[in-house]
Amino acid sequence: MTHTLTWRFPVLAVFLCFMIVPVMATALFSIATRWDHTIWPEGLTAAWWIKVTARSAFQRTLINSSLVALATVVVSAVLVTPTAYWAHLRVPRAKPWIELMALIPFGLPGVVLALGLIRFYSGLPVPVINTPNILVASYVVLTLPFMYRSVMNALEAIDARALTEAAQSLGAGGWRVLIFIIVPNILSGVVNGGLLVFSTVLAEFTLANLLIGSRFKTFPIYLVEFTRFDARQASALAVISFIFAWVVSLAILWVAGRNGGPRVATGNR
Amino acid sequence: MLKAAGSPPMTRIRHAVRARVVWLGLLPFFLFALAFEILPMLTLVRSSLIVDGNLSFGNFGRALTPIMLSSFGNSLQLSFSTAFLGTLFGTIVAYAIVTSPNTAVRHALTALADVTANFGGAPLAFAFIITLGSAGAVTLLLQSVGIKLYPEFRIYSVTGLTVAYVYFQLPLFILLIMPALLGLRREWREAATSLGASVRQYWLKVALPILAPSLLGSFLLLFANAFGAYATAWTLTGSDVNLVTVQIAALVRGEVQLDPALADALCLLSIGVMAVCVAGYQLLTRYARRAAG
Repeated sequence: MTHTLTWRFPVLAVFLCFMIVPVMATALFSIATRWDHTIWPEGLTAAWWIKVTARSAFQRTLINSSLVALATVVVSAVLVTPTAYWAHLRVPRAKPWIELMALIPFGLPGVVLALGLIRFYSGLPVPVINTPNILVASYVVLTLPFMYRSVMNALEAIDARALTEAAQSLGAGGWRVLIFIIVPNILSGVVNGGLLVFSTVLAEFTLANLLIGSRFKTFPIYLVEFTRFDARQASALAVISFIFAWVVSLAILWVAGRNGGPRVATGNR
Repeated sequence: MLKAAGSPPMTRIRHAVRARVVWLGLLPFFLFALAFEILPMLTLVRSSLIVDGNLSFGNFGRALTPIMLSSFGNSLQLSFSTAFLGTLFGTIVAYAIVTSPNTAVRHALTALADVTANFGGAPLAFAFIITLGSAGAVTLLLQSVGIKLYPEFRIYSVTGLTVAYVYFQLPLFILLIMPALLGLRREWREAATSLGASVRQYWLKVALPILAPSLLGSFLLLFANAFGAYATAWTLTGSDVNLVTVQIAALVRGEVQLDPALADALCLLSIGVMAVCVAGYQLLTRYARRAAG
């Protein structure tokens, strides 16, 4: 026992401290009356939380972010699931191309994607720039790797061909097979992908800031604005972000733990 | 069975047509990717490479002004150092986690890595201001025991950014490398030891060569992850620290006057850096998986 404690214990203790202290400090700061020259907060208060959550902008930005996140999840799932199923079963030759499309966003910084979209669409007579629509579309692209990998992992784990043939021999048509037979069998993959997409979008700042900015404020934009003029209320907002990321991550862990799907979405740096 | 009744050439044609028709099912996806991924990127490529209607690399030369060059230098340095620190500490911590005899500790720390790898961007940057800012919790704590962080250290600097980036790089690396570490069989170590190898020899001659593709692949993904990051840097330092993504964002917002083709050339260069990393990651992890399989 002493042998296993020797090097492992300090390594893990330092790791634990590094990962937990910033979050705990922020949480404590959000309920501190004053904490800028003493080791410990001078007193505790719920005032900042009450103040910040009572603002109408708080609720509005939270709703905006949730709506965009939900729309992104729906568009992404509807776009990726049938495509992955069809490619897997009928057009395996298309798989490398779809994989390439799902890999490119990994190598595309948010700022570059934003500039590309603005350059391309500002020259076209279609009103997409400066609307939440372009934001949803860009988020679908940004999160494509996570949705595609989750759904494809789940599809590869089941015998999609046998299920499809069985359903067809009983008279079910294409869409019916997909919706009533395949989707229930790969649901954990779709949910896993959906959760990764949802948590990415809710914390995404870069594209939201560059594509629509103040015209349609999302929660992360609101948070960054607050960090510039009221640190205490901003810390409450940061804690809300952390709690949310925490809850979604545990849900992902729970869903992905069983199908080996991806567990981390790196779209919000 | 009626379908098979046609003459052989007819069936072949029908098959060929059907082979084409099945691709139509993928049309919505490819149209979407074309509209919001490929065409916007090609717009940047085109505008950066074409000067007065001719193919030219002149924009790249002109885009690399001293400010832009220093932004590339800073971004590359930040990406390298945080990917390196993530790889170094990530390997040690991940090895400590996977070899921990306590199942509860193993599960709890894996869950912690999962959760914290999903943190990032603005809230994380702000948490570091609260922790290591000039009046931050840890700054005050260290001050009380006689260690003065400021003014030598500043969280709003490249060093500060390094600390904040490592916060999301470290757990990401741990999650990426864990499967490879779990693939190291106990028997290999026992075989090496029974043949007289020291711990050092086991690591240098057996374990690290096996892990090398996974380590390098994960390092490259971390590098790309840091190179493309913007929200964390922007929240923490505004435009004080000159990074490629900060420069591009300033161009998008029109804060800096530069002709569009130069901005696009800058984008293309950063796509190039990222593409090399992501492709390397993809190839190396595929190789590692095949070697393990």
